[in-house]
Amino acid sequence: MELLDRYLEAVQKHLPWKRQDDILAELRANLEAQLEDKEKELGRPLSREEAEAWLKQLGSPMQVAAPYLPQQYLIGPRIFPMYWFVLRTVFLWATIIYLIVSAALIYASGSVDGPAVAAAILRWPVVLMNAAAWVTLIFVAIEYAVTHAPEKLPGISGVTASWSPSDLPPVIVKPPSGTKPRSYIGAVAEAFFCLLGLVWLLLVPHFPFLLFGPGSYYLAASPFQLAPVWIVFYWWVAVLTAGQLIWHCVDLWTGSWQQPLLVKKTLLQAVGLIPLAVLLSAPGHLYVTLKHPAFDLEKYGATMYTINQSIHKGVLVLCVLVPVLLIVGMVKMAMDAYRGRLASAH
Amino acid sequence: MTIAENLFENLRLELRRGCLTLAVLAQLRQEHYGYTLRKALAERGLAIDESTLYPLLRRLESQGLLASEWREEDKRNKRFYRLNSDGEQMLGQLLEEWNTLNASVIATVNSHSA
Repeated sequence: MELLDRYLEAVQKHLPWKRQDDILAELRANLEAQLEDKEKELGRPLSREEAEAWLKQLGSPMQVAAPYLPQQYLIGPRIFPMYWFVLRTVFLWATIIYLIVSAALIYASGSVDGPAVAAAILRWPVVLMNAAAWVTLIFVAIEYAVTHAPEKLPGISGVTASWSPSDLPPVIVKPPSGTKPRSYIGAVAEAFFCLLGLVWLLLVPHFPFLLFGPGSYYLAASPFQLAPVWIVFYWWVAVLTAGQLIWHCVDLWTGSWQQPLLVKKTLLQAVGLIPLAVLLSAPGHLYVTLKHPAFDLEKYGATMYTINQSIHKGVLVLCVLVPVLLIVGMVKMAMDAYRGRLASAH
Repeated sequence: MTIAENLFENLRLELRRGCLTLAVLAQLRQEHYGYTLRKALAERGLAIDESTLYPLLRRLESQGLLASEWREEDKRNKRFYRLNSDGEQMLGQLLEEWNTLNASVIATVNSHSA
């Protein structure tokens, strides 16, 4: 039968090379016997349409051949949870390292402008894809090794039985976010310490030793003084602390202190970026100036330059780290909210 | 196919998979080639697709539970399968497991429907 021959030839293309003749001969014998039975039942040969319908019902050639192939995975179910965990971790660290390196490179190039930042952002997905490709490649190799020589990788958790529950890391006790009420004493203590912080901040300009300790006497005697940008920075910090204190008081007054709001916390962290931005935009990157530039510039100019550059680099690093932490916090908050919604839906 | 129908189909296939292996092993206490085995099982109410049964025979043979030989019958070369001694032993163990499991499931279902 021509259609059956064509069908079997198509199946053959998908069969494992080593055993395809044997499998095909068996399949042919079985199908021919089946066809014979059908024709005996009808009392005549099958029409072309009937033969087509019969072969179609058997399944496509690829479908028929597939069960004869050995089960193969690029990354199998045993390894996949570990792969997924590593991939997520690598994504996070690749992003953090890329942010820091990009910021440093942009700063070193001396052109901190929109196009440089946009180019760095556009390169980010490529970095992630590269990281994913390498991780995947490594795990494909691990899967191959685990499948073909499991004794070579005895340490891979989940592959062998050589693990103990006692070796697992201890549980980190944390209250379920947004569900566990705080204690009233804790909420009052937070407000009280915030008030203490604000009072301390307001006293610092009159009593510098509260901030610098004995160093304040050295600062008074040294040829250096703090640049005006610190005054703007100081007042931003003071205003934000006062805002935080008001927020605590309102919480205590209205009773909303019982539910710690992650949104509030994240918002405060975001607003906390303003003082950093003030420092970053210091005119001429001047954080320390000379009290008497006309007399001391020659002697202390180089030292002043070094101090200003060091502070600026520190501020730059903070400007990268704080947004990264903020983004991580926001992602965590979004995931917690999503999980909470799923849990309530079920 | 609706989602519920699809789910039922998946669960049904999962449930059948192990049972089919057991039925094939039991039926092969008597020698068969692929097509007659399929017909014999279908007559007992266990219809199996060709694409499931024929590869399953190969797998069971490679696992050392079946013996096979090519032989001519009705002017056609056919591959005949039969349970070997390891297969007999395995079938005995699986039947024991099946009976225990079956009794437990029935007892559980009955205890909830009573």
